[in-house]
Amino acid sequence: MPECQHQWEMTNVRFGYVVFEKCFHCNSLETYFTTEANPILGDKYRDGDCFWSVVENAQSFQFDLRCTKCGHVEKFEDLMGFLHCTGCLDDCQVDIMRRQLEAKKTWILVAFGFLKKKGKHTVPSYKLDILTDYFNQRRDTKRSKIKILSFDLITDLSNCRGDFIHDVGMLSTEPIAERKPIF
Amino acid sequence: MNTQDLIEKLGLKPLSKFEPREINGVFISDMISDVMAGAKSGNLWLTVQTHKSIVPAANLVDAAAVVITSGKEVPIETVELASKYNIAILSTSLPTYELVGMLYALKPISR
Ligand SMILES: [Zn+2]
Ligand SMILES: [Zn+2]
Repeated sequence: MPECQHQWEMTNVRFGYVVFEKCFHCNSLETYFTTEANPILGDKYRDGDCFWSVVENAQSFQFDLRCTKCGHVEKFEDLMGFLHCTGCLDDCQVDIMRRQLEAKKTWILVAFGFLKKKGKHTVPSYKLDILTDYFNQRRDTKRSKIKILSFDLITDLSNCRGDFIHDVGMLSTEPIAERKPIF
Repeated sequence: MNTQDLIEKLGLKPLSKFEPREINGVFISDMISDVMAGAKSGNLWLTVQTHKSIVPAANLVDAAAVVITSGKEVPIETVELASKYNIAILSTSLPTYELVGMLYALKPISR
């Protein structure tokens, strides 16, 4: 049987929050998604040697993609959100690819997995390709295309000043150069 | 109906550089997550949100244009980013409710 040329649609949309927690003991940052009521900023708890405190939360959503032809469902619980590259660091791999692709009218967004104390969780590349396909299938690609890249490609995450496309900090109009890095 | 017809019929003020596009529906929200989950390609997006994050969001869902209602001032960085991506940012002094009334009377924009 020939393989299905999947045609994706968004399904199982859950609205909730991406919560950013920081440990003031070891400086680790963790993020997770919750559909529970608004997490309280400053909420603290202890876990082993760590003292976690909620430092930020952003209204967000999670979704899965379902193929309308074969019914296959791909889950995206590991996707934290998308970052718009502001071209903040010249030698960043994302910015290099951004400039190459934008010349071909392909706009990039960087997909983030969740951050954990023991390192970042990346979204597997086959899933990024599925996201790319989904966003292109639902747009007029004669005008422009979308390419979803992995946040692994950000050369220096601790100095990245990209913009999360999240419902938080929307009132900030600070110029990129004067802004604190995101992590 | 395309962006240019709409601008003329409703007296909207174009702020960014863009190519006219066909409009096939209207989506109203001030939340980016809502737009990313629900707006469709070719939709007109009505909002009072002017932060430049509306541009990558509109781009991702392939919105036909963004209309900033209630006469909210749009930062220059939002306009510049929109011009780069060919996304129409239009503004009106009308509150969303009144603009929706006029849009509704202007069918064939459905939904
Ligand atoms: Zn399929
Ligand atoms: Zn710790």
